[in-house]
Formats: sequence, C-alpha cells, structure tokens
Amino acid sequence: MSKDIRKVRNIGISAHIDSGKTTLTERILYYTQRIHTMHDVKGKDGVGATMDSMELEKERGITIASAATYCEWQDHEINIIDTPGHVDFTIEVERSLRVLDGAILVLCAVAGVQSQSITVDQQMKRYKVPGIAFVNKCDRSGANPDRVMGQLREKLGHNAAAMQLPTGLEADFEGVIDLVSMKALYFDGDKGETVRPAEIPEKLLPAAQTARELLIDQASMFSDTLTEAILEEKEVTAEMIIGGVRQGVIERRLTPVYMGSAYKNKGIQPLLDAVTQLLPCPLDIENEALDMNKAEQPVVLRNENDKPLVALAFKLEDGPYGQLTYIRVYQGSLTKGDTIVNVRTGKKVKVGRVIRMHADQMEDIDAISAGYIGALFGVDCASGDSFVAPGLSLTMTSMYVPEPVISLAIFPKDTKSEVNVSKALGRFTKEDPTFKVFVNAETGDTIISGMGELHLDVYIERMRREYQAEVTTSPPRVAYRETITQRAEFDYTHKKQTGGAGQFGRVAGYMEPVQNEDFVFENKVVGGAIPTQYISACEKGFRKCMLKGPKMEYPVTGIRVVINDGASHSVDSSDMAFQAAARHAFLQGYAKAKSVIQEPIMKVVVETPTEFQGAVMSTLNQRRAMIVGSQDEGPFSEIEAQVPLSEMFGYSTDLRSVTKGQAQFTMEFLTYRQVPQTITDELAKKSAADKKNVA
Amino acid sequence: MAEIKGFKNKKLLYDTPQKADFDNSEFPIHRPQISKKIIARPTANICYMRERNISMLKNELILKNPLRRMGYKSDDILNKGEFGAVMARAGVGKTAFLVQLALNSMLREKKVLHISLNDPVKKVSLWYKEVFSRITTHYHILQGAQLWEKVLPHRFIMTFRVEGFSVPKLEERLTDLIEQDIFKPDAMIIDGVPFEDPIHQDLADLKNLAAQQGMQVWFAIRTHRHEEPGPNGTPSQLINVADLFEVVIQLVPVGKHIQIKAFKGPGSSGDQPDLMLDPATMLIQDQT
Repeated sequence: MSKDIRKVRNIGISAHIDSGKTTLTERILYYTQRIHTMHDVKGKDGVGATMDSMELEKERGITIASAATYCEWQDHEINIIDTPGHVDFTIEVERSLRVLDGAILVLCAVAGVQSQSITVDQQMKRYKVPGIAFVNKCDRSGANPDRVMGQLREKLGHNAAAMQLPTGLEADFEGVIDLVSMKALYFDGDKGETVRPAEIPEKLLPAAQTARELLIDQASMFSDTLTEAILEEKEVTAEMIIGGVRQGVIERRLTPVYMGSAYKNKGIQPLLDAVTQLLPCPLDIENEALDMNKAEQPVVLRNENDKPLVALAFKLEDGPYGQLTYIRVYQGSLTKGDTIVNVRTGKKVKVGRVIRMHADQMEDIDAISAGYIGALFGVDCASGDSFVAPGLSLTMTSMYVPEPVISLAIFPKDTKSEVNVSKALGRFTKEDPTFKVFVNAETGDTIISGMGELHLDVYIERMRREYQAEVTTSPPRVAYRETITQRAEFDYTHKKQTGGAGQFGRVAGYMEPVQNEDFVFENKVVGGAIPTQYISACEKGFRKCMLKGPKMEYPVTGIRVVINDGASHSVDSSDMAFQAAARHAFLQGYAKAKSVIQEPIMKVVVETPTEFQGAVMSTLNQRRAMIVGSQDEGPFSEIEAQVPLSEMFGYSTDLRSVTKGQAQFTMEFLTYRQVPQTITDELAKKSAADKKNVA
Repeated sequence: MAEIKGFKNKKLLYDTPQKADFDNSEFPIHRPQISKKIIARPTANICYMRERNISMLKNELILKNPLRRMGYKSDDILNKGEFGAVMARAGVGKTAFLVQLALNSMLREKKVLHISLNDPVKKVSLWYKEVFSRITTHYHILQGAQLWEKVLPHRFIMTFRVEGFSVPKLEERLTDLIEQDIFKPDAMIIDGVPFEDPIHQDLADLKNLAAQQGMQVWFAIRTHRHEEPGPNGTPSQLINVADLFEVVIQLVPVGKHIQIKAFKGPGSSGDQPDLMLDPATMLIQDQT
C-alpha cells in the first residue's frame, strides 16, 4: 500500500440512468491498466462491463450494487465506487457518497442535467462531497456542452467553469482543447489510448482564448498568487490555474467541467488527470464521528495511522467465501490480526483477511491505512456499522434511512426455495437498510417492503438468480396509515368483578393530533389516581392500539395521548387491567377524534420530449396527480407532480407507451396525505371483503 | 401568429400523433372515475366538520387582504379578459406582489396559472411557499400546513425560456390543459416578458386569448433607474403597449418602505389609501 496519503483519491461516479457512467468507469479501468479489454454495458460480446458484476445488472443495463475498485494513475491511487443510477436504489448512492472524498458528476451532453442528476447533486451537497463534472456523449447528435454548463449553473446552482472546449461536436467530435495548457488533444489508436497534443485549430483559437480568460478569472477567486500574477501582468502558469481551481473545488464553490465521449474513447485521460490534480485527498477532508459517551457530540477525526482506529462498514456482499465487508478507515489503520469493536453491538471482532477489491476479483493486503477503502472477510456486521479500536466509543454519523412505502407478500414455491429464501432475505436486509422483512402474525405470510416497485422487483429477481429460490408474490401493497384530526376525550372504566380474580382500572384523559411524531404519551395524573406502577401498563396498552388502527387496521400515527385522571382498586387492579382499560379508552377516544386514512404521496418528475408533454400530463392526471408545474427546456420538458403511490403501479409501462419510450421518470417519497373519501370507501369495501375471505 | 424574440413559429407535431397513441387500445390505460364521482356529489351548502375551520380561515385571510382597500370593484381587481401590470425596478418586489395576488385568488378557489420565463418551477414554487408562510405567520394562523394543502391544487406553474415563449405555444399548452380537464385557469401571471422588445402584436394576441378563455392576466414589468420616463412618467417599457393594460400598479421605494401606487385604473386619481410593501417580509401592508 502506498505511503503517501496525498496521492490517494476516493472517488465516486454519480449520474442519471444512461448517462454512461459504467462505460466511463470501464474506460478508466482500461486506461489505468486494471483490465485489458473493454466491454459495453449491453455488450454484444455477452461479457458486460467489469463493474456491473451482478448478472441482473448486465441484463437490464443498469448498475444496482456499487462495487469498489482500485486503480492507479500517474502515481496516484484511485478507489472508485460505482454508484447505481436508479432512484429506487438511492440508499446505495447515499452510502457510497458517505465514504467518498470527491466525485465525478457525469452528465449527458444531449439530455443535460436530468432529474436524477438533481437528486444525486442534492445528496452530494448533503454529504459535502466536492465534485468535477464530465459532459459525456459529446459525439451524439444534439450534443451541446454549452447548454449543459448553463443547466449546471441554473438547475444545480454550480459555479461551472469550462476546463476544455470540444473540437467539433456530434458526429464531428474529434477531441478537446485543454484551456490550461492551450493545446488541442486528440485520442489516437484503436481504443484512444494515445493522447496526441497539437496546436489549436485556427478557427477555434479566439473562442479558446476567451474561454481561457474566463477560466482564469473564475480560478483567481480562490488563489492569491493567481490574482497577483494577473494584476502584475506576469505570466500565468498552469500550476497557478490548477491551484486556484483545486481550492475552489475543495471549498465546493467551483465545479470544473470536462468533456468527452466515453463510448468513443475520447477525453478520458484528461479527466483522470483532473481527478489526480483537482479532487481532494483524504487529508483535505475533515471527517467527524459522534462520541457516544458525550451525548453524540461530534469529534473531528485525524487521518493518521498511529491514532486509534475508526472505520465504517459501508457495504456488504455475500461472496462464495462468506461475507465480504467493504470498509473505509477514517483514522488509525486496520491490520490483519487486530481486535476491533463493533460499536453497535459492542462485540469484539478479530480481523482475518484484509483485501483490496477490484470489481469481482480481489488481492490480499496486510493493512488498510487511514483514508483508504478496503474489504474484510469473515466479519459479521450490518452495513452502516462503525468499527473502532477497543476503548473508543465513537460512531460515524448514522445515515438517514427512509421508511419503506410499499410491501408485498412472498410465497416460496417449494421446500428447497423456502430455505434459500430465508438465506437470501437475511443477506438483503443486512445489505440494504431500506429493505425490510417481517412475518404477518395473522396470516403467517412473509412480507417484504421497500422503496418502490422496482426495488422489490430487483430483490425477487435476485432471489431467483443467486439463490435459486422461486417465489410467487402478492400484488404490492401500499403502506396506508391512520391518524386523527381533532382532539377527543376519553374516560373508560374497565371492571370485571363477577367472580374469580377481579379486574379494575379507570383511565381518563384526551388524545390529539401531533405532527412529525408517531406517538407521544404524557402522564399528567396527579394525586396518585393511577398508581405509578401502572402508568407504564397504560402506555403499553395505548401503544398496542397504534399497531393496528380501529378504522381499517392500518398502523396509527401522529397521536399524542395525555392521561390526567383514573382510578384503581387495591386488590383488583393489575397491569393487565390497566392495559385493557387503556385499550378501550383508546377506542373510545379514537371514535370521536375524526380519524382519517393517509396514503404515501410521491414526488414524481417526468422528463419528456416537449411534443409529448400533454400526453404525459394526462397520464399523470388520470392517476390522481396534483401537477405542480411544467418546465420547458427547449427540446425537453420536465413535469413535476405529486402522485399517490397507490396509483403509480405500472406507470413505467404507461409512460413508455404514450411517449414511444422517450420519457423517463423518477419517484421519491414526499409525504403522507389524507385519502379522498371515495378511495377510503373503496378501501373499506376491500378490507371488509378480505376479512370475509379469511373467515 | 406573432413571435417573441426569435422563436421559430412552427406548429409542433403535437396533437395528432400523440392523441392517436393515447387512444391505442393496445395499451389500455387505467382511468379511475374519481373526479366524476366527486363532481356528482351534491355540492349544496354542505360544510364538512373538518373542513369548517379551514374555510373559516380562508375567509378570514380573504377579508384581511389589504388590497381590498385600494378601491377596486372586485376582489380580483381585474375583470375577465383584462390586463394588469406591476411595475418596479429590479429587486423591489414585483414577484412577491404578484404571488400575493395569486394567493388571494387561490384562497377564493380561483385557479391561477403562473408562467415564468426566468425561474425554474422549483424557484417559483418556493416563492409561493415563502410568501404563504409569511402571511400565516403574520396573521398567526396555526393550521398553515393544512390550509396550504387546500390552496395548492389551485396553482399551476409553467416555465419557458424567454426565447422559447410565444403566444401560439402558450395557446397550445393551455388548450391541452383545458381539454384534458387538467387545469382551467381563471387568472394568469406572467413574469419575465421582455417588454424592451416590440411585442405589441403578441400582447394583443394574448389579450384575445385571455378574453376567449375569460382570464385575467397580470404581468411584471421591470423598469430601469437610468432610463428617462416618457410623458406622465410612463416608463419606456410601457409606452408602446399602455393601451392594452386596464390597471397598472407601481411599486416605488420611499425611504425605508415601498409604496404601492395605482398608476393606471381605479385609485390612480390620488384618493387611494396608503398601502405599503413591508421591505422585510415583502407583504402588502396597510399603514392606516
């Protein structure tokens, strides 16, 4: 492992679906000589790109799980995390970003900044990941890097600075002009492996000079040396410009833009140079952990090998040799034979094999130093767990995990499948915190839930392929909720004194709606009307009612229960009696509290060629959508709408058919909103029918 | 049909192929009958209990609308098919003012189409959210979130690039919205029209369209400090198109405040009350 931490880059490649990031990664690996042949995502040779290691990804042409890969360029070590492009897998993206020091934002020269780029950009902002932009597909017809730069500024609010100009565009795309060295770069050889610098074509020279001046101007904001050189009219060197831009990138106030075409093998080497020159090394980034002993106060970590270890397991994979845990070391070093502690469980773990990953091949190493990414074998943990040296109680910030919005029941077809399904589910839940599994206590069905239709589809598909587990599924179910809309009082006496051991308990108080909380319980009983030892029984009784709402058996949320009076009996009162009293009191209050059903509303953004705008709006309108607005971007339009999740099933097929397959959409959870009365009635009918069937 | 700033006036290949696509029985499209059912329900004077508070709140806000004091005949200020303009220098508060006009209409269950030629949907929508939350804070309304969800469906944001905007294109979009029963606006707000360009014919076309559809249209006009106003203080941007506007409101910074002046239309004779735009919140306020 290299000694110089300044020459390490942990980077990610983020982009919209189909912007070509897997192709780009493939080219990078080829030029850095990690692989010796190039394959395409949907390759005719049937091999598929190296980073898309899962069979399913190869088939669908999308990247699902991010593989970590290591390569070298110009003496620098680069760890690349390939991130998935579909919004259904954003937890993967977020987790990847958490461990990155920098990122390449790949944009399509034709489609520009698309909805997914916006989501990814927001995530990059959240985790403060500095980035450079790469405008890909400059060889496609309709390519316009200028427009993409404009969108970077307008839509994403980046201070975009062109580092290159294209020589020719669309079919005439030949190479790029480097504005720092003022040379035209051409990419010769079968696979573009030879970079040939040449003089800038005369007709492009004025444009290049103007662009260079603009670049120097932008870079001078971050470099005093550069500003001085300009003011004193000294010669501006390449180092000065690079220094200024690098500072701007690290401060996240400047986004340099590179151009090229990964598919045509153009512009990749300059991008790699940029990664080594402009993106920060682990030392440039300040990472914080939370001190569990001091009420989770943030502690700044030192990127030094001799400090005690702090590391984060950000991804798990089940390989043929057992569980593989991808890990990033933030402080200290992780050496073979060390004993480390899993902060979440408090368990001590002995480090066995330490390896470095290259898509699905690996090499054994002795230690992972601070700032590096590697993997461990045979360590039992969940993704997102922190590992520290014994004696420390630091944890890396817990990652934001959204609640699942959709669920379906799965039924294994035979006994063999049954065993495999449970293996598969065990692994998936460990790998992906947004994927949850539980058993319905009443029906005995196994229910899986996740962030969208495709999310669950992919897992079912993976069960079949990787675990040979055949399952049938029920239609997906939306996670409805119940809540109340007004305050209501309750006063219930539970009395059973007709023989045998008696039961007595009285609970009085009120319930009211509360926002942003699931359940709040407050005890305002004075004078021991309910003895203190029974208060927790009351709370338990209320909590039990929250699991299954009285109205339609959906979980109840957003309720504050306050108890302020009650009564007890010296002999007949018991925990059980008060639990029963609370349950009945809940039902009593709930009936008066104007309960409603709520459903998850998704924010849907459709990108469509402008001519299909009307048709797309109409498809949305049929799905009870509230269209927020439409944005006309010349050839493309973007429509934003808020749509109930229950109406979104099969939307991709609909959208494809009305737009001839030219539109894309992304969907993310927005909020819960009240279901209209007509739909509530339908739901009620359905649940009544279901009950009949069971009976 | 006219053009604005170099937009190529070509008829988009829009209606025919797409409609055919749509009716293709090969892809049956799921059409829930919800909207019809809702319409079919008796709409007589039923006020559902849980909606009562919200409608009371709405009325309260409508009554508190300070613009009522400007002496206009209706709450809308404009009649159907009429043009209004808000005129000010950059950064004085044209958009904030227009958004308040829009919110007032939305509270009265009128549908507002907001067209912006400068800002993306996200930014426009943020304007609304921001102004609305300031109004609710100002009038101490606690159920702001619920009220917001009630008024939101009455708004539709459409953004164009300045060079991509033209009256025929807008007409096409509008017909789309109305025919498919997605959104039928009662009022339109257009922000970002380049009044420096010769656009009289465009605006006249637009006015015809507005009259046909029975909409009122509000514009934002940006004036410039360095430009000499024409006769009667009419700014150069307005001179050529002044005949099309029934009402013009001017925002003038006076000391620490921004005064709202009726420049043309009712109230412009000088007997208007003193209305101000609070520079801190950008809300319209009554000084009396």
